[in-house]
Amino acid sequence: MTGLQHPFQCLRYVNRQSAGQSDILIATAGRNLYSYDASSGQRLDVWPQPVDANVEDNAEDKSSDAAPASESQGPPEKRRKLSSPSEEQKDAKSEANPKGSNKEASNSWTNIPLVTVAHGKYVVIMTSEDKCVRVLSLDNEGKLQQLNARTMPKKLSALTLTPDENNILTGDKFGDVYTFPLIPSGEYVKVQAPAKPYEPSATNLTVHTKRNLESLEQQMRQAALSKTNQAERVVLNFEHQVIIGHVSLLTELISVTRPADSTVGKRNYILTADRDEHIRVSRGVPQAHVIEQFCFGHTSFVSSLCVPSFESKVLVSGGGDNYLLVWDWLENQILQKVQLPGAEGETTVRGIWDVSLEPTTDNADPVKAIFVALEGSSQLLYYTLESDNTITHQDTLQLSGNVLELVGLDSRGSILVAVDTLRQSDSTSAWKSSSQPPLEAFRLSSGKWAPVEEDSMVIKINSEGTSNLPTTIEEKQQKELNDSMYNLGNLRKRGDSDE
Amino acid sequence: MATQNPPAKRVKREEYRRKVQAQQESTDGSAIKMPQKKFFRQRAHANPFSDHRLEYPISPAHMDWSSHYPAFVDPDTSKTNLSGGRKLTKEVEVVDIGCGFGGLMVGLAPLLPDTLMVGMEIRISVLEYLSSRIHALRSQQQCLKNKAANPSSTEPQDVSTQPENTESTPAPAPANDDEIGTEKLFPGNFENITAIRSNTMKFLPNFFGHHQLSKIFICFPDPHFKARKHKARIISESLNSEYAFVLRPGGLLYTITDVEEYHHWVLRHFLHGEQPEGGPAPAASSKDLFERVSEEELALDPCVRVMKFETEESKKVTRNKGNKYVAVFRRKADPEWPA
Repeated sequence: MTGLQHPFQCLRYVNRQSAGQSDILIATAGRNLYSYDASSGQRLDVWPQPVDANVEDNAEDKSSDAAPASESQGPPEKRRKLSSPSEEQKDAKSEANPKGSNKEASNSWTNIPLVTVAHGKYVVIMTSEDKCVRVLSLDNEGKLQQLNARTMPKKLSALTLTPDENNILTGDKFGDVYTFPLIPSGEYVKVQAPAKPYEPSATNLTVHTKRNLESLEQQMRQAALSKTNQAERVVLNFEHQVIIGHVSLLTELISVTRPADSTVGKRNYILTADRDEHIRVSRGVPQAHVIEQFCFGHTSFVSSLCVPSFESKVLVSGGGDNYLLVWDWLENQILQKVQLPGAEGETTVRGIWDVSLEPTTDNADPVKAIFVALEGSSQLLYYTLESDNTITHQDTLQLSGNVLELVGLDSRGSILVAVDTLRQSDSTSAWKSSSQPPLEAFRLSSGKWAPVEEDSMVIKINSEGTSNLPTTIEEKQQKELNDSMYNLGNLRKRGDSDE
Repeated sequence: MATQNPPAKRVKREEYRRKVQAQQESTDGSAIKMPQKKFFRQRAHANPFSDHRLEYPISPAHMDWSSHYPAFVDPDTSKTNLSGGRKLTKEVEVVDIGCGFGGLMVGLAPLLPDTLMVGMEIRISVLEYLSSRIHALRSQQQCLKNKAANPSSTEPQDVSTQPENTESTPAPAPANDDEIGTEKLFPGNFENITAIRSNTMKFLPNFFGHHQLSKIFICFPDPHFKARKHKARIISESLNSEYAFVLRPGGLLYTITDVEEYHHWVLRHFLHGEQPEGGPAPAASSKDLFERVSEEELALDPCVRVMKFETEESKKVTRNKGNKYVAVFRRKADPEWPA
């Protein structure tokens, strides 16, 4: 392998045995989405299709023509000050960029931080800079093809599906949760409100000071002038609904189903977490506006939520605190506080993953594993869930690079871990001189997770590698790449602003 | 006002507030003077998205109310909350969101003397004023009571009403908004109201549990006139979900504004609009959790009168001959879970 390569940022395992097909591994690295045959490690497809080298190089200086629809979907532009009605100037800018959301702007993102898979045959991704949610079909041969692309108003921090996998749920940096169909039903026609002439909501009954009255007069002048500006802006030009809102940066969003028990039937919930230490429990769609509970206990931002597939009563949460909390989440009851290595104010939980293994010849009992990775750490913490719904630390796995992502291969009794190929172990900024393989596999054997040396899939994927970084890379670009991979630290409050 | 030299103003403010502070700490039994608003004025807007430097409890079970309602502290010292504070004999159940200088709180206090009420305000100076005001009201009531019990007392009469004039500035107009409480005894001694600095858009659920509140007031909220600022408005469908969480079924949410457009905004965010005949049912939203209270019912509600005429902002609107738009919503029960 030569030069530096992008690490895998997201991994998803697609189990298709029930459909009589071979399993597929989905991965993102850099700006690409990959599909692999899960048994051989054969790369099946790359999306977007690589274009020839010249174009690829140009792609690096993005942004100029990139920020298409999203730009025009921002908040209304600031009105220009008018000193008198005669000085009107035509606002040409408002007519620019009527770019359709379906048109491919192939160079408008540098990474794909969010991925989920629906029905085993659709891959839903968010491309970073253009804030676009894209649904791709995954066919029998593992080929990827984009079906639709929808631009969101704000960058997403979480992406998941409703339990029936027919609707997408997104959480964004502004704190809003949207839902919209995986496959849009027919043509979306925005309900056009009849164009009303602009009317300032202030009147001389509500504002009184000299300056306020002056600016009111300004607004009146503006209103009289700019009839052309009144065309409604194209925001979220597709069928959608806002179902939950935090007045905070939303960090995580998961969808949970509690199976029926003796007293109540099957119920769906949505759990959301934010930068202001909150974990909120809402009902599932269509009653997401009913808040059932808040889980209070974190004293820093919450970045990771995990309700294990094998115990839906339990939530394991982590973030900027140097501890995990284990919850009976429907009761706002802390079952356990689990100390993490590292000092308060420095430790950040990057991810929490649940892996369940059926009993095998190696392991007599079923395994209920919880893995925890810290931001910028090459260690992976291994816990097991006990029968009293607490977790016990069993082991700490050492990897060759920082842990970025983990996926359980339940059927094989192993896990795949994506490690950082670029940065040195336990650093979020110092780069290596050459890349290392992006994947490592571990298998559980007599209670210990041991590295698997001869996994043909991993060997194959690692030998092919991902996409190369440019041979010369400037410090600024390095920093951008670091920031896009390790951004949880920015959620910490500095506590220096006040008025 | 705007031309005044800010540093001098600031110095004077700080001096004044130190004096108020010192007066509160002294416990010589004499009545405390009312604070003067002019030393506590602050820009009428605050950014709700900023972190500020707020103090808030980890959860409602950690909130220590005992210093806020000393008269309602449970005598049983063994009863404490999760942060070790003494428990109260009853729960707080009325909240004024964005209470400003506290006119509503002070007006409601004698009306509901056995109900614990809290005003929440994001602006520090305004909050300081209200805290001093409540402190002064309580101490004046205490003095009046003592006097009534012991009429021979020769305490100087004017200590509570005469504004101090040691400063070089011309004497201010008498603080006429605080005549309340100075001469007359009121039920409840203003022991049932308090004020807390908070950003309720972020932290309301940290203070109040599920279905804890019976009334929420939102009086003359910052209208955020510009369209790009509408997201900062205190009424929105997603915030209404939180109000529904802390409000018990049957509880009331009161709103009043002098901005007609905002009134329609409020109605739009609490109620489903007119649905076309035979059209699809409106999408489920927090609007399903509220219904509007009829005009007839409001006419009988004394809280509406206080809200319309006794808050500082409502007095200002009256002075300027502006309009007042009232809308009150009742919290309905949660819908049944889908089968």
